[in-house]
Amino acid sequence: MNKIDAKVHSGGSDRETAARDWKSGYQAQVREGKTVRNRSGLEIQPLYWPDEEVDATYDAKLGFPGSGPMTRGIYPSMHRGRTWTQRQLIGLGRPEDFNGRIKKILKSGASALSIIPCNSVYRGVDANEVEPELLGTCGTVINTVQDMDISLADIPIGDISIGLNDPNPFTMLAQLLIVAEQRGVPWSKITGTSNQSDYISHFVANHMFYRLSLTGARRVQLDAIEWLAENVPNWNPLSVVGQHMQQAGATPAQAMGLTLSSAIQYAEDCMARGLEPNKFLERFTFFFDISISFFEEVAKFRAGRRIWARLVEERFGVSNLRAKRFKFHAQTSGVDLTRQQPLNNISRVAVQAMAGILGGLQSLHTDGYDEVFTTPTEGPAKVAIATQNILKHEAGLCDVIDPLGGSYYVETLTDQMEAEILRVIAEIDEQGGMFKAVENGFVQKAIGESALGFQEAVDTGEQIVVGVNAYQEEEEETVLPAIDRPDPDWMQGQIDRLAAYKANRDQGGVTTALSDMRTAARSESENTFAAIVVATRAGATQGEIIAVLRDELGFGRPLVVA
Amino acid sequence: MTLDTVIPARVLVTKIGLDGHDRGSRIVAAYLRDAGMEVIYTDPWQKLEAVVALALQEDVDVIGISSLATDHLLVPKLMKALDEAGLGHIRVIVGGIVPAEEEADLLKAGVSRVFHPGSGREEIVEAVAKLAVDAADDRTDD
Amino acid sequence: MKQATPEMPALARRLINGETAALARAISVVERDTPQAIEILRAIRPHLGQAIVVGFTGPPGAGKSTLVNAYVAELRRRGKTVGIVAVDPSSPITGGAVLGDRIRMAEHTLDEGVFIRSLASRGALGGLSASAAQVADLMDAADRDVVILETVGTGQSEVEMATIADVRVVIAAPGLGDDVQAIKAGILEIADVLVVNKADQPLASQTRRQLNAMLGLRATAEHPVPVLSTDAINRVGVADLADAVTVVADRRDRQTDRSALAGRTRHLLAQAVSKAAEAHVMNSRSEKVEDILHAVQDARLGLTDAAKQILGGILGYNANEQ
Ligand code: B12
Ligand SMILES: Nc1nc2c(ncn2[C@@H]2O[C@H](COP(=O)(O)OP(=O)(O)OP(=O)(O)O)[C@@H](O)[C@H]2O)c(=O)[nH]1
Ligand SMILES: [Mg+2]
Repeated sequence: MNKIDAKVHSGGSDRETAARDWKSGYQAQVREGKTVRNRSGLEIQPLYWPDEEVDATYDAKLGFPGSGPMTRGIYPSMHRGRTWTQRQLIGLGRPEDFNGRIKKILKSGASALSIIPCNSVYRGVDANEVEPELLGTCGTVINTVQDMDISLADIPIGDISIGLNDPNPFTMLAQLLIVAEQRGVPWSKITGTSNQSDYISHFVANHMFYRLSLTGARRVQLDAIEWLAENVPNWNPLSVVGQHMQQAGATPAQAMGLTLSSAIQYAEDCMARGLEPNKFLERFTFFFDISISFFEEVAKFRAGRRIWARLVEERFGVSNLRAKRFKFHAQTSGVDLTRQQPLNNISRVAVQAMAGILGGLQSLHTDGYDEVFTTPTEGPAKVAIATQNILKHEAGLCDVIDPLGGSYYVETLTDQMEAEILRVIAEIDEQGGMFKAVENGFVQKAIGESALGFQEAVDTGEQIVVGVNAYQEEEEETVLPAIDRPDPDWMQGQIDRLAAYKANRDQGGVTTALSDMRTAARSESENTFAAIVVATRAGATQGEIIAVLRDELGFGRPLVVA
Repeated sequence: MTLDTVIPARVLVTKIGLDGHDRGSRIVAAYLRDAGMEVIYTDPWQKLEAVVALALQEDVDVIGISSLATDHLLVPKLMKALDEAGLGHIRVIVGGIVPAEEEADLLKAGVSRVFHPGSGREEIVEAVAKLAVDAADDRTDD
Repeated sequence: MKQATPEMPALARRLINGETAALARAISVVERDTPQAIEILRAIRPHLGQAIVVGFTGPPGAGKSTLVNAYVAELRRRGKTVGIVAVDPSSPITGGAVLGDRIRMAEHTLDEGVFIRSLASRGALGGLSASAAQVADLMDAADRDVVILETVGTGQSEVEMATIADVRVVIAAPGLGDDVQAIKAGILEIADVLVVNKADQPLASQTRRQLNAMLGLRATAEHPVPVLSTDAINRVGVADLADAVTVVADRRDRQTDRSALAGRTRHLLAQAVSKAAEAHVMNSRSEKVEDILHAVQDARLGLTDAAKQILGGILGYNANEQ
């Protein structure tokens, strides 16, 4: 069957005739009617035109931004009212190195800050417990309240939104809260997000980030959500992450479906604790990857927004508009960026960022063109921010809300992506929910297969990647700054600082706090996160806290399928 | 001796240090499997002593370290440990994010080859197959 | 204490003296099936028989590797040294394999008392690889108290494992679809110990009941087969499993004529005979073989009868006597 026939059915008979004429003209020009598919496997037609259906279903499917189906945006004004937050991920070296760098970045236009800790912190151990070569190479070494304080020196923490890349059990957040206490900033003024709170996505795709077992992480997460709602009301305790899964190989539709399934799991877990969805869902946020598959990404975001607004109403009986809003941060995909001809990455990032902006994001990180070499160095990071500024101010992207809405193609694709995303969600429902589907390896396996599929397309040349499997150049210009590893002496200084911190604290207080925390973890009724905050205040390091919790709640082991 | 054509090369594909990126290592494991090799695949975060123990027990010809988050900085230590364990014949390769300056250091430490992002199936399979034969040729104990 | 005799191949001597690298290397030699392999296997023969060989079989994903991991921890607590042969399937098309069983046993990697070797099935049917029995011999000779074989996990009749192992542990798990069906007929027959793993899961007790009912149907067995429950992840029921294995092993020990070492040797002998016969038929151009071939082609002779005639020819043995 000719694929185009499927579309030649709508409109009056004049249009039908015209469409048929066009089709034969098209076919005359395109001899080999090769099927075009996007990364989610959906077939893409060469042309789309109005469908009677679109008009009839406008109110139900699209409506107006800020309410109803939410397809066109979660706020009435979207970027025309307030543009997205520019959130650049940075982290490096020692706390003071981070502090110096973040001040510069804030000056150059970033409007929020984000802290990336060192890999050793992600693994839940202190600086003195790892091979010194690995300290501070990808993020900042932050083990104590003191480290957090230095990282945020001169930063008005009560007036700026802070993204903490702080996986379960959220020791950095505890440190931030104690710094606030010490500076006299009330917790109600602390705003931001626990960006790495989605432990499920870590077990799927981000193995560096889980410290506790799957079940242990579940317990602490719910404790934190509950405690933060009471004590730090403007903090977003949960960001449900699709980025890891898409970066690990999930197709855009798969990543969106799996992320929504995670969000469903978290919502159900919260409800099982007796929390009110109309309330806690106001604080759910999402984090996605934006690949270079431009239209597909736009459709992915529009479809996700629409599904979420409907789903929370249907599944959880949510009526509060604010609880239906699908707020998301997005990051341009590093997987699309290449080591070969790295300056090309600037173009790629611009296209990716546009897809996210037109898809209606609330917050954006753009990758540096040195993505495939190192964590962003200063020059490339500047270009990445400038790219956002150019899109924001020069390109006119913010003038119209949902500017691609009404495009025959984009609307059709949005519907199709929606169907595909719903299929993925149904598949996970069948597994008994996301927690189970990850515990038994189902999700990991599915994503691995998608990753292989994409690689196969690159290997066979079906997917062209400029500079990699096409348009290669023999001799490439070096445009990258040399990579600076942290100075071993400085890192030794950091280890010494940790030792001094431990020597100077009230050891008895630390021991008591840690043992209270152990008791809390053992009891079913006590709140572990409250105990973590107390232990942090008493001077316990993140490594010490996590060691105790691992002991009680289980060590996080990979659930990888080979 | 040389590797019999019927006996598949044995390759350990693993990750050391703190890194958890596994998209690439899973793909490489599949490449080598599809090429008829026997791949011992592990969890991330292997200690260097564990890599040595694995290589010894499994009697592999090649060790492939996938490193995306600077863990390649430990590879020189690994080379030393392998040597000390009498496993000097095993060929070690590294794939992932390795800056040019540090690639030179790795080669100097005895790494046979470094693969960068964008390496294709054929390139990887051919190189590993050849290195496996070299390793078998260098064995001293039979 | 064992004494390595001086005329032994160096590798065999080193292996018997407990050198890990030699065991590892000897396994590769045996896997390659070289003349040196035959020598090594002969040289170690006097040193065999001290190890208990325990087979773990069951459908894919039942938790064999996870349970082996927990069982090994228990054995180590009891002071036993362990060798593990973990077999994963080779791709029938490329011959390649990703050997992932030991991922679940990672906690033992740095324990000198545990030696793990991953083998690919390399086309062998029956859940093991062609050389698995020989590898078990090598581990026995290398003074491992317990040698564990983890099969590929077909869940089907794994006769190979049945003849090689002293104790056969068959593992079922709830939630593998129609799981009791997955424990196909044939596999129940070989079980000395039945385990319902994943006891933490809701359907576990139902699976256990079903298995008990199936066993009830063949209640004639001399020794009742214990049906145990384990949660391999949280290590529940693992000590009971270790005890049950010991009971069976002790019983076997007392019935020396059926001792498993004899079983293993018989298995190896049978394997060697069929290999020799195959080589003879494939390569020999002797008149006798050609005649028999033509007789089969012309439908004058059935395959089984032809085989008997050939065996008679090679071995001077009358296969009809059997
Ligand atoms: C995907 C990705 C992720 C995913 C990982 C998903 C997963 N399960 O693998 C997610 C989102 C979870 C992630 C998280 C993080 N990431 Co990341 N990530 C990437 C990214 C964008 C692509 C890597 C990738 O998978 N590429 C596709 C695969 C197929 O390619 P590959 O792995 O390079 O493999 C190929 C070759 O290198 C080679 N190869 C690789 N291994 C081997 C092994 C052998 C034996 C052989 C022969 C060949 C070989 O062959 C493969 C096929 O061609 C890179 C940047 C980039 N473009 O490379 C950053 C990058 C690696 N990540 C980085 C960082 C810092 C992190 C985080 C620590 C971020 C943070 N601070 O929060 C976390 C921690 C991750 C973790 N779990 O360890 C940095 C590392 C910086 C550095 N080295 O200096 C990078 C370079 C990005 C950057 N510029 O900042 N990441
Ligand atoms: N809930 C639960 N899960 C288990 C248990 N034992 C194993 N698993 C899980 O089951 C899955 C398969 O476990 P494996 O040990 O790899 O199973 P296997 O039988 O060795 O699998 P193959 O070797 O692939 O045939 C893993 O996700 C284990 O974590 C258990 O007792 N309870
Ligand atoms: Mg297994």
